[in-house]
Amino acid sequence: MNLAQQLLNGIVLGHAYALLAIGWTVLLGVARLVNFGHGQMYMLGAFVTWYAGARLGMPYLAAGAMAITAGMVIGYIMQRIMLRLTLKQDLVTIMIVTLGFGYVLQGAAGLVFGSTGQILETPLSRIDIYWGDLWFTWQDIAIIVVAMLFFAALKYVIEHTGVGRIARMVAEDPALALLSGINVKRVYLGVFAFEGAAVALAAVMVAPRTPILTSMGFDEVIITFAVVVLGGIGSIAGSYFAGLALGLFTAFFGAFVAPAYTTAAAFAVLIAVLAIRPRGFAAAPGSR
Amino acid sequence: MNPTMENAIIEARDLTVTYGGNQALAIPHLAVGRGELVGVVGANGAGKSSLVNALLGWSRGAPRVTGTVYLAGEDISRLPTFVRVRKGLLLIPEGKLVFGTISVEDNLLSVGAIEAKGRHLYSIAEIYDLFPRLKERRHHLGAELSGGERQMLGIARALRLGPSALLLDEPSIGLAPRLVSTVLATVRQLADAGLAVLLVEQNVRAAIEVVDRLVLIERGRIVAEGPAAAMRDDPRIAEAYLGAHAA
Repeated sequence: MNLAQQLLNGIVLGHAYALLAIGWTVLLGVARLVNFGHGQMYMLGAFVTWYAGARLGMPYLAAGAMAITAGMVIGYIMQRIMLRLTLKQDLVTIMIVTLGFGYVLQGAAGLVFGSTGQILETPLSRIDIYWGDLWFTWQDIAIIVVAMLFFAALKYVIEHTGVGRIARMVAEDPALALLSGINVKRVYLGVFAFEGAAVALAAVMVAPRTPILTSMGFDEVIITFAVVVLGGIGSIAGSYFAGLALGLFTAFFGAFVAPAYTTAAAFAVLIAVLAIRPRGFAAAPGSR
Repeated sequence: MNPTMENAIIEARDLTVTYGGNQALAIPHLAVGRGELVGVVGANGAGKSSLVNALLGWSRGAPRVTGTVYLAGEDISRLPTFVRVRKGLLLIPEGKLVFGTISVEDNLLSVGAIEAKGRHLYSIAEIYDLFPRLKERRHHLGAELSGGERQMLGIARALRLGPSALLLDEPSIGLAPRLVSTVLATVRQLADAGLAVLLVEQNVRAAIEVVDRLVLIERGRIVAEGPAAAMRDDPRIAEAYLGAHAA
């Protein structure tokens, strides 16, 4: 068992987790919303990429763009349907509606794509790199690079641009934002379209690592949930480090203890961390 | 000087507000002209906040509002709140009136897309001239401000959006007496500069010093209305709100 290899696996997996969770982080940070259909949207992003590439013969980049566009459209439609609930901030109903929406997506995907597993191959995932006794693919490198760029760009936009300022205003107080002339409905629609696009991007990048199934959504949403909560609800930097930490934990636990219990162990750690720091990594110890 | 419909900046007709079947407000007619400062006074729960909120179609609760609201002659009753704001109808609400998690300066950066035809959008420099204290505090978070500073920032945020009408909901609440007169003097200054101002106040004694007209609301209805000087001598105002020695 090679320590450096596990470290590398953990870093790749961590960036994959962070990328997977970023849409929900923004959703929670800006709109105080949840989306339990997040995992199924990831699944759909993966299958659209696979279908466009393997069946329609589109190149990886074009297939990815198509998946991201589809994600954006689905996110927008979903929010359009629940806009009234969102404006009322009726979280429990939103939870159920998004959960239901996820299963509708899963059923629809089963009908269209079938229930057998598929392999999503990309030009990058086919090239193995051996470096000393380390093994990885170009896809792994691409995941890390895309995740880092995406997080850095997002942090900049939220903290230093007009769009980011509006997002922060709506996050803090949507009613007061209306009195500042902000079209809050449009912000909510935009945030959900972003969530759909971001989770599709995660699928385009990450799904080639493992076989894809139309039933894989639930596992993905659980990981996302863990990353978002651990990172400190809605914190962008927090999510990045939480994803990385969870990835490293999963890699090392899987390698040195037992791969079958990594999810259980990850949640045990999550519970322990939250018991000590109820607001996750982002909050300073002792703050509310 | 009761403005006729032609020169009214803000005018409401048959305005009613209902909360879950209970009518909280029924106002047949109310108008504020350019450069006019109208005070709305009344006891707690009389419907003062419901009135200013209804003019914008805004609320933190879920009331049902009927009636017609005109801004400079244009019927705005069917427009969403944020569009009314962009057209120049600005409300500084009671309670939470600034963004606490962003800096004072971020609070003051406007959101764009304002229809500013013929209206004056205050620049940041003008705001800092008007409220030097905000300039000193510009890098602090909204939540770190004192009550008086928050009122200043609330007014400043509204000015940045180029108001033609300004609605203030209890700006004096929780302020030290000296600050109350400072804030109300600023409000008077803004009216003199040409804004139509509707000022909701529980502090009748302070309000009556600066307003042109006073409207007394009880249980959701206008029970007395007139020029400030005349209202000072109105027994309903004098006894209930100013105390016997003021009569």
